[in-house]
Amino acid sequence: MAEILFSSWGGEVVDNRQKDGQDFEPVNTVDLPEYFRQDEAVKALMGWYGIVIRDPETDIVDLSRVYIQEVQNKSCGKCFLCRIGTRVMAETLERICNGQGKSEDLEILKRLADSIRESSKCNIGQSGPLPIIDALEHFADDFAAAVNAKKSVTPGTYHAKLTAPCMDACPIHLDIPNYVECIKEGRFAESLDIIREKLPLPGVVGRVCVRPCEEHCRRMNLDAPISIKFLKRFVADYELGKGKEPEFTITPSEKTGKVAIVGAGPSGATCAFHLRKMGHEVTVYERFNEPGGMSAMGIPDYRLPRPILREEVDRIERMGVTFNYGTTVGKDIKLSQLEAENDAVFIAIGAQMGTTMGVEGEEENYAGYISGVQYLLDINQGRDPYPEGKKVAVIGGGNVAIDCVRCSFRVAKDDVNLIYRRTKNEMPADDVEIHDAEEEKVNFHYLTHPVKILAENGKVVGLRCVKMELGEPDESGRRRPQPIEGSEFVIDCDIVVPAIGQTMDLSLLEGREDVKTTRWKTIVVDEVTKQSDQPKIFSGGDCETGPGALITACAGGRTAAFNIDKLINGQPLDYSEDDYFDKFFSKVKVFDPAEDIGFLGGRERKELKMLDPDTRKFSNAEVEQGFSINDAMAEADRCLRCYRVATVKV
Amino acid sequence: MVTLTIDGKEVTVPQGTTILEAARSVDIRIPTLCYHDRLNPIGSCRMCVVEIEGYTHPMAACTTPVDDGIEVVTSSERLTRIRQDSLKLILVNHPLDCPVCDKGGECLLQDLTFEFGIDQLEYQAAKVERDSQYASPLIRYWPDRCIMCLRCVTACQEIKGIGAISIAGDGYGAQVVTVDADKCQSCGECLQVCPTGALTEDLSRYKGRTWLIERVPTTCTYCGCGCQLELNVQNDRIIAVTTKDGVGINKGSLCVKGRFGYEFVNSDERLTKPLIKRDGKFEEASWDEALDLVAEKFSAIKGEYGPGAIGGLTSARCTNEENYLFQKFMRAAIGTNNVDHCARL
Ligand SMILES: Cc1cc2nc3c(=O)[nH]c(=O)nc-3n(C[C@H](O)[C@H](O)[C@H](O)COP(=O)(O)OP(=O)(O)OC[C@H]3O[C@@H](n4cnc5c(N)ncnc54)[C@H](O)[C@@H]3O)c2cc1C
Ligand code: SF4
Ligand code: SF4
Ligand code: SF4
Ligand code: SF4
Ligand code: SF4
Ligand code: FES
Repeated sequence: MAEILFSSWGGEVVDNRQKDGQDFEPVNTVDLPEYFRQDEAVKALMGWYGIVIRDPETDIVDLSRVYIQEVQNKSCGKCFLCRIGTRVMAETLERICNGQGKSEDLEILKRLADSIRESSKCNIGQSGPLPIIDALEHFADDFAAAVNAKKSVTPGTYHAKLTAPCMDACPIHLDIPNYVECIKEGRFAESLDIIREKLPLPGVVGRVCVRPCEEHCRRMNLDAPISIKFLKRFVADYELGKGKEPEFTITPSEKTGKVAIVGAGPSGATCAFHLRKMGHEVTVYERFNEPGGMSAMGIPDYRLPRPILREEVDRIERMGVTFNYGTTVGKDIKLSQLEAENDAVFIAIGAQMGTTMGVEGEEENYAGYISGVQYLLDINQGRDPYPEGKKVAVIGGGNVAIDCVRCSFRVAKDDVNLIYRRTKNEMPADDVEIHDAEEEKVNFHYLTHPVKILAENGKVVGLRCVKMELGEPDESGRRRPQPIEGSEFVIDCDIVVPAIGQTMDLSLLEGREDVKTTRWKTIVVDEVTKQSDQPKIFSGGDCETGPGALITACAGGRTAAFNIDKLINGQPLDYSEDDYFDKFFSKVKVFDPAEDIGFLGGRERKELKMLDPDTRKFSNAEVEQGFSINDAMAEADRCLRCYRVATVKV
Repeated sequence: MVTLTIDGKEVTVPQGTTILEAARSVDIRIPTLCYHDRLNPIGSCRMCVVEIEGYTHPMAACTTPVDDGIEVVTSSERLTRIRQDSLKLILVNHPLDCPVCDKGGECLLQDLTFEFGIDQLEYQAAKVERDSQYASPLIRYWPDRCIMCLRCVTACQEIKGIGAISIAGDGYGAQVVTVDADKCQSCGECLQVCPTGALTEDLSRYKGRTWLIERVPTTCTYCGCGCQLELNVQNDRIIAVTTKDGVGINKGSLCVKGRFGYEFVNSDERLTKPLIKRDGKFEEASWDEALDLVAEKFSAIKGEYGPGAIGGLTSARCTNEENYLFQKFMRAAIGTNNVDHCARL
């Protein structure tokens, strides 16, 4: 990395301006990328957390001018000091840069910067003037010279962006601070509009999202993160409860075309929604008789009631998207035919096949041995996959495994075991899910690994396991489990459900070597545009990323839609400034878990009411009961509105 | 219950109370501008910032709930600077047209400017042209006087549940705008809560000065709700209707009729003398003449057809006492139970 000349990022000042290259002190608070895009080297950064300067030619006064102007542009106008104060600052800096600075200007800038920072309502105002204060302190000579010079500076080239920790962490970049603020102010319909700008499935995602946003919520530094997910669910439910049909406006692109989508899962549905909004003619091919993919066939009803999902997809249908259910691409219709008849094809077939564990007995087709995905699929379609069996052993530590054990109760299995080779701490499943499963009295066998499926007369009768202990950390940083010799024992069971992972069924690509796949059977596309080597073929969701999260699948569908639109309109599929900022912020972290916010915290996060564990486990009724209006508004009121601005000089 | 100290004074209040409420409960005054008793705290003016021992950042007293053991300081050099800056910034481009402003004399901005002794403005920004359209023709919006405290927007949303107005634009260009004029009921809730002269009643512009007006408390006569209001009287003419926050069942709310429907009182077209129709034409008559005529006709009808031939309808715009007397008259004087009231329809 090219050396940093000056940094005040995160409050830690490193000043190498008077030093020789080899004596440069390192900057530990930020990893400033060398390039913004291929041909644009990053010369300096001014943002919510300070200043970082790499290029000695950087004009700090001009950078300050551009930066604070951007803060003013992004000020929402809802509090006095930021709304007017940053404008006064911007105009003052503008004047200085035009060679019309006055000596008192610098005092005005300092005083205003302090007042705005100390008292603004949200983080735009609280963080906005911070780097200007740093600049005035550490670059006083430059400012004095600019005021005295009475000649205008040469403006540089900059990129600027508004972001927030939660928003940056959300794969589809929902405007969280904004939709949460609408809830706080009682404007629920507007809140939903903001969500649906990007995501057509708020009721679904508001129930089952893995919520990376909450893991990056700045309120955590004070007490506990905002309940972002359930606030989303609240506005979706509120509209459903009112029986209101949303109005989606279709704004046709200059040129519209025909697009085929394979798979009506979250990724395909989101792609269809955005393409339709841009006026394209969209047909979705789905092998099952209903939409939703894994969110319908995998995620159990007690977490996500099917009518919610169905209604949200039906709305996409009512926008004018054609859904052909019961049609398997590759079997009922060839991919090449879709390609010939359409301007583009989006493949979103998910990761729908269970993987095997490599345990003795797995290949024997014993009655009672069922893959996790198949087990859930059956139960979600109202079938008990193996009514004879009563004692279940599920193997795995992820959300799918937890779904399998909790579903088992719901088809009247009374002895339910979960087998995981590490400890609870390493378990990838959501803590809330683990807790709920504990409440429902699943038997957890941690540090346990299966070695052989035992059977009699072709039927499962038990699972031989071995005890494990944690050894050295592996490349994922988790300690590697090792078997303890002589510790084998048998779990008495008649159903064995491996739920350790899924893989892709790529049979629709048979004979299509031109569409590249990886050795993990994912489809190779450009990570940003979602276009494959075949210009007309795009792919996203689980079949691109491997089994992942719903919101990531939706995000993939959305970006694909915009790039398909570009393709149809004959535009180059270039990365946008936002795409480059995504990369930029993967280095320059938007969320600092160690930040001392300086506010009084201690406001309790509102929790949902839950059905009683002893009775809910035998029914498919939704376990989590949504927020009341008062709780939703009180929860939204906890949000700190952590918007922040960054300006990059290139 | 939570115990804290404010300026060294110990206060015990229920959990969830804001610092501002806690301070008010022991008569410690924290300056406020956007805060309004009937609205959820808005937090736009930042006048109420306080310091809490051990926390680097000042916080708004109106939006911050108390916590056990905190020590709150409500005035310091830093807080005064912030409050002064907040006011100074608001006064950038504020037209100092107090002499012709309907709010002059009871304007919260005037009062605070006076209190904080703002006599010079070192801050400048180019003026922005703003749109003065408003949701209701009965209310005039003066965008240059508007401080964007957002009480109006909040009142329309929270009290009326309507949301006819909102804010649009970014940064200094942001202003209050009409989002849906069709939804506006011209209730004047926004007008009622506006702390400045940015919203004025458009029927009575320039008709009186606030300090010359006599405010006569009375009950609205339009319907049976009985809203409490104040007739603003100058030189024996009603020039506006206002209400007092928190008074009566309406607690400061009125509807379009109560707030704006007062011009009939001084209308030239209003009847002030009884009329009797003679030869197809209405002619002015004395009260004695008119009452004699009516009494005579009623007696005749009653004599010929019996009291059941007569029925009486009264109006919700009469007071309870009037309605009581009316039914008494129908039953005792006329002798019929045929009596009804429009509010029953
Ligand atoms: C049990 C389980 C629980 C989960 N829980 C969560 C959770 O709580 N939170 C979360 O965020 N994520 C969860 N996930 C992951 C999430 O469901 C997936 O990441 C998401 O559904 C992926 O969306 P997708 O559209 O890429 O694929 P899918 O949802 O798999 O949809 C693919 C669709 O394509 C169809 N299809 C496949 N092949 C063809 C073909 N040849 N022709 C026509 N149609 C075809 C399939 O029938 C399916 O409808 C869970 C997954 C499972 C299995
Ligand atoms: S962006 Fe934040 S700080 Fe700025 S005006 Fe809006 S609420 Fe105030
Ligand atoms: S407090 Fe609000 S804005 Fe800040 S990270 Fe959390 S949800 Fe986002
Ligand atoms: S709103 Fe207040 S300060 Fe402004 S002109 Fe009217 S009286 Fe003066
Ligand atoms: S008059 Fe009533 S309805 Fe109209 S904007 Fe004002 S508060 Fe809202
Ligand atoms: S119109 Fe009045 S109440 Fe509304 S924002 Fe402006 S000053 Fe505040
Ligand atoms: S009174 Fe608290 S911010 Fe206005």
